[in-house]
Amino acid sequence: MGSSAKKKKEKQKDFQKAKLKVGKAKGKPENFTDTSFKTKGITLTQQSLTLTAPSTQTQFTHHVSLLNSKSDTQRRDSLAHLTTHISSKPTSQPLPQPVSTLLPTLSPLILDASTNVRTQLLKLLRALPPADVEDHVVQLMPYIRAGMTHLAADIRVTAIEVLSWLVEIAGDAVVSCAGGWIKTLNCFLSVLGWHTEESSKWSSNRAAFGKAGAKGRPMVKVLGVLAEFLQAGIGEEDEDEDVVMGGAEVESGYGSGDGGFPIVQTEVHMVPKTAQPYVYLNLFGSPRDEEGEMYETREERFRVFKSRFLVAVERGVESARQDGGEVGRASSAVSKVLKEARGVDWEG
Amino acid sequence: MVKRKLGALEKVEADLPNLQHKIRRDPKSYIEDFRAQHYQYESHREIFMAAPAATTETGLISLRELIDFLAHVADCYPEILKDFPQQLIDILTQHHLILQPELREKIVGSLVLLRKKELMDSATLLQTLFPILISTPSKTLRALLFQKILMDLRSSNAKTTNHKLNRTMQTVLYNLVTSDRTSSKGLWAIKLTRELWKRQIWTDAKAVEVMKEASLADNEKVIVGGVRFFLGGDKEREEMEDESSDEEAIDLGKVKHQVGINKKTRKKSRAVEKAKATVKRRERKKNQPHPLNFSALHLLHDPQGYAESLFSKHLQNTKSKLNLDQKLLVLQLVTRLVGLHKLHIMHLYSYFQKYLTPRQPSVTSFLASLAQASHDLVPPDDLEPLVQKIANEFVSEASASEVASAGLNAIREICVRQPLAMNETLLQDLVMYRKSKDKGVMMAGRGLLSLFREVNPEMLKRRDRGKDASIGLRSGERKEKRFAEQEAGGIEGLELLEKWKEEERRKRRAEKGLPSDGEDDEDVDDEEADWAAWNVEDDEDSDDSGDWIQVESDVEIELSDSEDEKDGPPTKKAKSNEDTKAETKPEEETAEAKFSKLATTRILTPADLAKLQELRTEAAVNALVPGSKGATRHRDDPLTAEEIEGLAALSAGKATREERIAHAKEGKTDRSEHKSVTAKRKERKEDQGKSTTNKEKARKKNFLMTLGKAKSKNKRSLVQTRAVLKAHQDRAKRGGRRGNVGAVA
Repeated sequence: MGSSAKKKKEKQKDFQKAKLKVGKAKGKPENFTDTSFKTKGITLTQQSLTLTAPSTQTQFTHHVSLLNSKSDTQRRDSLAHLTTHISSKPTSQPLPQPVSTLLPTLSPLILDASTNVRTQLLKLLRALPPADVEDHVVQLMPYIRAGMTHLAADIRVTAIEVLSWLVEIAGDAVVSCAGGWIKTLNCFLSVLGWHTEESSKWSSNRAAFGKAGAKGRPMVKVLGVLAEFLQAGIGEEDEDEDVVMGGAEVESGYGSGDGGFPIVQTEVHMVPKTAQPYVYLNLFGSPRDEEGEMYETREERFRVFKSRFLVAVERGVESARQDGGEVGRASSAVSKVLKEARGVDWEG
Repeated sequence: MVKRKLGALEKVEADLPNLQHKIRRDPKSYIEDFRAQHYQYESHREIFMAAPAATTETGLISLRELIDFLAHVADCYPEILKDFPQQLIDILTQHHLILQPELREKIVGSLVLLRKKELMDSATLLQTLFPILISTPSKTLRALLFQKILMDLRSSNAKTTNHKLNRTMQTVLYNLVTSDRTSSKGLWAIKLTRELWKRQIWTDAKAVEVMKEASLADNEKVIVGGVRFFLGGDKEREEMEDESSDEEAIDLGKVKHQVGINKKTRKKSRAVEKAKATVKRRERKKNQPHPLNFSALHLLHDPQGYAESLFSKHLQNTKSKLNLDQKLLVLQLVTRLVGLHKLHIMHLYSYFQKYLTPRQPSVTSFLASLAQASHDLVPPDDLEPLVQKIANEFVSEASASEVASAGLNAIREICVRQPLAMNETLLQDLVMYRKSKDKGVMMAGRGLLSLFREVNPEMLKRRDRGKDASIGLRSGERKEKRFAEQEAGGIEGLELLEKWKEEERRKRRAEKGLPSDGEDDEDVDDEEADWAAWNVEDDEDSDDSGDWIQVESDVEIELSDSEDEKDGPPTKKAKSNEDTKAETKPEEETAEAKFSKLATTRILTPADLAKLQELRTEAAVNALVPGSKGATRHRDDPLTAEEIEGLAALSAGKATREERIAHAKEGKTDRSEHKSVTAKRKERKEDQGKSTTNKEKARKKNFLMTLGKAKSKNKRSLVQTRAVLKAHQDRAKRGGRRGNVGAVA
């Protein structure tokens, strides 16, 4: 119990106060660690000493490299910097780095966990020159599809928005690239939950896994983008351009055999205008299955669509229409596209 | 509380494990979510396959997690995921060199998981994993793959032997070893085969064939691996079996008792069920017949050809790259084969000639090998010069005592196997060394002497022969064995069985009060009892044995010939013999008919065979106890260099203290440190989980705590004291505070 005087004294020893004296240094605390050391020289391993300020070119490259940074604020800021840089430069001037090197670092950010980064990414993508993006749709599409089926609802919405942007600037490339038609449609059905009959019923207890976003709003957005997508894929073609040769505009000077007898189909003999004209031959990739195949003409796409998706989509649209409200209104756009597509099909 | 760092998926409040859990409970409702994740996986796989090396960190993590998720729920949606195993196999086989280690391990683990869920078959799994095991440069991956392959082979052989799978795997290994003899890839075949041999999963000739090819390879590591298997594989297997057989016993009574007392939960009742099942399984296992396993050396197809090619390829060949140790291993194997199968290799004995000098490193191993290589079919002309050389080089007054004793021991070991290798003058010369002052040399000399008293006393001087040998010589009982003379053999341990039976009979008669060695119709009863106990586990197929009794009750059965005896197990072919009983009587008197009478007069029942096995092992164990000398060695046991060195330790001067202690301990069985009986009792009690008695508690009680009571005791009045004493007495009568009155009444 510590009753003895000796024990008491021993205990007291631990709590004795150090006496401060004028003119003398304060005593070191008990847990003091001596960190002083001796050395002949000190080298700082990482220091960048430049006399001139970094050029905009190097700044751009630096920020591109920062896109892989661990902190999300850093990623967002870098994206913002890149966006302002791209949008502020004159359109005639080329980008400091080509889109082909930018996209591999940008596309994984579609799946970024932070909402701020994703919104900023969308801004950056919109700032990119559309003509350059068109050739790299194939690389971008898997990320968009991964985003569309992501567990997090927010990421799904962002992916839909990115897809909307891509369809807008390069609709033909999106629907005709390898795996762009069937796989993307599958993702749409999965997002909307239209795969099977019972899952598409409004009464079915469809437990939307993951955190739901704002109620109803994502659905509207998805339906809108689906309409755009279908329009690009099987809607009425604006002009009768040759899809096989890519969606580039045909100048009236060549085309349709105006040149007289020997030059009947001029465009066939011209240098192709797309980046990879023979990609449909799939000379270098792994063999594709039905889902990963390229469907390049409207007829092909419609055939596939009819055999695999038409029933599910119609059923889904019907139930969405019955829901009414904004969703119902959005579904009408889809049904309109479907109707048109059918009309074209009957004609053809 | 410190704020926890959140992962990306946690932030969105939905993670794959959560979904996995929900899917496992209700696959149908979550099919849409599952489908979404499947598309997700497909997209990620597409991204990955487009550029396997350049995929980002986060992409890899999500791919890994998705693979894990899909593998875990694969059995819920077999239709959607039917391509999944093939996709994993493709990723692994095409990109295993550049895959990130964690992803690689995950894919391997997922494949094994899919195999467990029966979504792919063993053959496919092994065909995928094995080529990678051989080719990958990553050590961790190799370890993982090896473990998984082994596990899969074990599990597919767990219930019944999967012959088809084993055959394919053995063929693969065989091809691996034989296809490229210079590469070290054969090591994997060796490792796998050895491990499976050890666990008694592969016990057939094909596995031995793989090892045989391995030991004939061109790569040193592979050669040594193969040779070591033959030298030590069977011992390893035996040890493994011993290990597994003495697992800790379950006390079923204790478990049941505990359940009666403790709170009853489902977990505990399950534990009881499990314990019951284990006990039952062990019982059944115990009753099963001993698995008949041949050692690898016996399963070789062509031992002569094999030994010859080993000898010519690795030992005679001057271009062979093996170092001395490796050569010694090969030599040991070759000589063991020669000794065991009684082979003859032309140049083997002349090969030894140049190594038999005391200066040769590890010469005792050479000597042991030489002794091992000699058997009674070796022409004495081959061995005689070698014996002469050993005697000249090793055994002389001038040589060190260890050298001399090693030489003498080696000569003795050779002569045990082929006595004709010795000539008279040399023997008489060597026997003189029993008078040596050095103890090791003396013992070795005596060994030689006693050996020749047994096998050929005529070669010794008259005064060295000893009493038994002289008498034997005179009666013509001990004769020199001629070259290649064969003794009529018997069944090993049969005399033990006979002895045991005799004892049993005597005991039974003693119980009945009859004279212990009478010969009457009791025998018939005995035999009937034997037949009743036809099987070891009699009650399991009693209808079977009932049949046998009926057949046997009045007819006796004799084995057909004695030529079967050499092979061991008697044939079941039997014919009745009326007058066997008459024959047995005179035969029992004659001393020389010790063995084989049992085997010729009656069929050994499985129960007999089991007893025979037991007696054999018992004898072997007794032989191992250091006190009893003259242990019979098994034919399969190798002769080691230590045996050749013999008692050289005795001649090496004073032993160190540690050595002396070790030597003293050798004879004693291992026991714990010395303790008093009380301490031991207490320890046992603690082991059983029992508490101390009240008495002990009182004794151990802190002194200060007892002070108060002691003080107050002093102050008690007489009345109080009386009350206390009375209460104590009452309590004692009643039997304690709780009392056992109720129990008595």
